[in-house]
Amino acid sequence: MPQVDDLILEKELREIIAKIIEIDPDRITLEATFVNDLGMDSMMALEILAAMEKKYKIQVPEEKLGRLRTLKDAINLAKEYL
Amino acid sequence: MNIEEIKSLIPQRHPFLMLDRVLEIKPGESIRAYKNVSINEDYFRGHFPDAPIFPGALTAEAMAQAACILFKKSMPDVNVTTPYITNMKIRFLKPVVPGDQLEVIVKSVKMVRTGGVFETEAHVRESVIAKGEMTFACK
Repeated sequence: MPQVDDLILEKELREIIAKIIEIDPDRITLEATFVNDLGMDSMMALEILAAMEKKYKIQVPEEKLGRLRTLKDAINLAKEYL
Repeated sequence: MNIEEIKSLIPQRHPFLMLDRVLEIKPGESIRAYKNVSINEDYFRGHFPDAPIFPGALTAEAMAQAACILFKKSMPDVNVTTPYITNMKIRFLKPVVPGDQLEVIVKSVKMVRTGGVFETEAHVRESVIAKGEMTFACK
């Protein structure tokens, strides 16, 4: 499996999330919660997961969707399946 | 899959049923379906009176209906009463006119029990006339 540098992963995932939520990437800190802080809904979370799977060619089980609450969660989830 | 089978899977009815036949379905993967675009459809009286063009919004609806059929065939244990679109980004490349056979191809990117993300294209003959992506949720 390819090794992806943490900083690159953070930058790429921030861009993916910003594009889907349609906000400035700078607002997406590692700890900002998607729903409460960034105004995301549950289907946007699914879009983020789908975009992650497509970009990194990974398969994340449905039950992990509930764990996707922050950029930090997204990074950890991606690393778990890379 | 004929029109009666389509009607058994999605709630839309005339004049808002935008598929006539499903040509191919691969549960969990993709679907290919078509609609024959007829000049007899009522919306052509106004869209547009002197130059009938199939509304792009209805091409998008055909894509969504195909996605819904794919979802139901892929997740048979999920009871979908009302599917609703939460996101759609479609680029329309060429007009569709009466007499055309509009073929839609929908591919699953990710499906879960609460909805799905899909990539989609619409063709008339060999030409791609629209393409994009959509997300829908189930209630």
